[in-house]
Amino acid sequence: MKIRKLLATAGVAMALVIAVPSVASAAAKPSEFTDCMLKASELKTTTAQDNAANNCHKATSPILPALNEIVWGGIAFLIVAGVLLKFAFPALKKGLADRSAKIASDIAGAEAARAAAEAEAAEYQAKLAEARSDAGRIIEEARQSAEALRADLVARAEADAQGIRARASEEVQALTARALADLQGRVADLSIELAEKVVEHNLDHDTQIALIEGYINSVGTSGG
Amino acid sequence: MLAALFSHGISELFSWKPFLFGGTPFAFNKVALLALVSTVMCSFLFIGGSRKRALVPSGIQNVAEAGYELVENSIGVEVMGEQDGRKWAPFLAALFFWIFFINIWEVIPGIQFPATSRIAIPMYLALQTWIIFIVVGFKAQGPKYVFNSIFPPGVPKFLYVLVAPIELVSIFIVRPFSLAVRLFANMVAGHVLLTVFTLMCIELLKANSGAYQIAIIPLPFFMLVAMTGFEILVAVLQAYIFTILTAVYVGEALHPAH
Repeated sequence: MKIRKLLATAGVAMALVIAVPSVASAAAKPSEFTDCMLKASELKTTTAQDNAANNCHKATSPILPALNEIVWGGIAFLIVAGVLLKFAFPALKKGLADRSAKIASDIAGAEAARAAAEAEAAEYQAKLAEARSDAGRIIEEARQSAEALRADLVARAEADAQGIRARASEEVQALTARALADLQGRVADLSIELAEKVVEHNLDHDTQIALIEGYINSVGTSGG
Repeated sequence: MLAALFSHGISELFSWKPFLFGGTPFAFNKVALLALVSTVMCSFLFIGGSRKRALVPSGIQNVAEAGYELVENSIGVEVMGEQDGRKWAPFLAALFFWIFFINIWEVIPGIQFPATSRIAIPMYLALQTWIIFIVVGFKAQGPKYVFNSIFPPGVPKFLYVLVAPIELVSIFIVRPFSLAVRLFANMVAGHVLLTVFTLMCIELLKANSGAYQIAIIPLPFFMLVAMTGFEILVAVLQAYIFTILTAVYVGEALHPAH
């Protein structure tokens, strides 16, 4: 691509050099010289013609300014300075100043917006921290109340169990006592029956009971 | 070689016959035409550039704004200070761009002649700068301007014997000449160089009689291309130098110890 561009540039430059050598055209058109020589040839004497022809070969001094070029150069510069200073540059400067002001204003606005956003973000952060703290506190409270509830339930269950155990024990004791009473009654009856069969006579009932209970008590005492 | 190329004298490169108002002080020739066309182009560039008010500049607006800011910041403010630099920037920008436009014709195909290679325009501009800085000096410093200029502060008093005449000549006599001759001579040299290499190419093409010319033609052609690029740089540089020196002279005239 670079080579192509280089070749194209060289081609264009070469074409320009060959086709429009206007710098060379100045050399190719010695109009002033021709005019000068023609004027010299019109002189009467040969010496004058020679002198004039020699003068034609002399270059005009490039140091001496041409009045017409000073005049036109001055006019051209004064026009451009006038136009630019009057019309172009004030508008250009105003445009630049307006843009600077707008950019400064935009930057100030952006700074303010950034500060506001930062404040808002800080506020959100604070609220978030507060919410987190609240949530922690609530969880802790819930945990504590759950713990208290659990302890309460456990205590109540233990108390209930204790009551149940106590009642069961009482019932067992009552049942035991009743069974013992029943057993005593039964043993007494059996003993009476047995004694009656042994002695083949009947003791009155109260005597029998007293006898049996005395016997059982003696058995209980000796057995216990 | 030069004699062969310029058989009728080197002046034929620079002398242009008038095609309007011949024989009068308003004789209108190629130099005058280029000066006026430069004026028109310069005006179009900046008026066109200042009419668009896009926030993000592009095209002609970009060129005009960047160009103006370049002169304002790197010449005006840099040399004359913030306040004076911005105040004088429009004049300096007009000067810079007009000289640039008038110089750049040197490499424009079909024209290939910088109007500043004639002494008239550099001399006019130099005299204009000379008058401006002297008027500004008297306006800013009053009658002491000349005294302040030729007796610069900070110099040992015994050296004023040497310094004062040198400053007098350099500031009030040499400056306009050096300004004019610098611009004029650079543009003349560039124009002659381009012409020499162009004519060498043409003459070698005309006289092509074998391998010898074919082998040699690329040399002047390469130089022509290289010098064309170089002359674009010279056109900008000479405009910049003329403008920056104008800023220096006016700045000095505004402030004696500048």
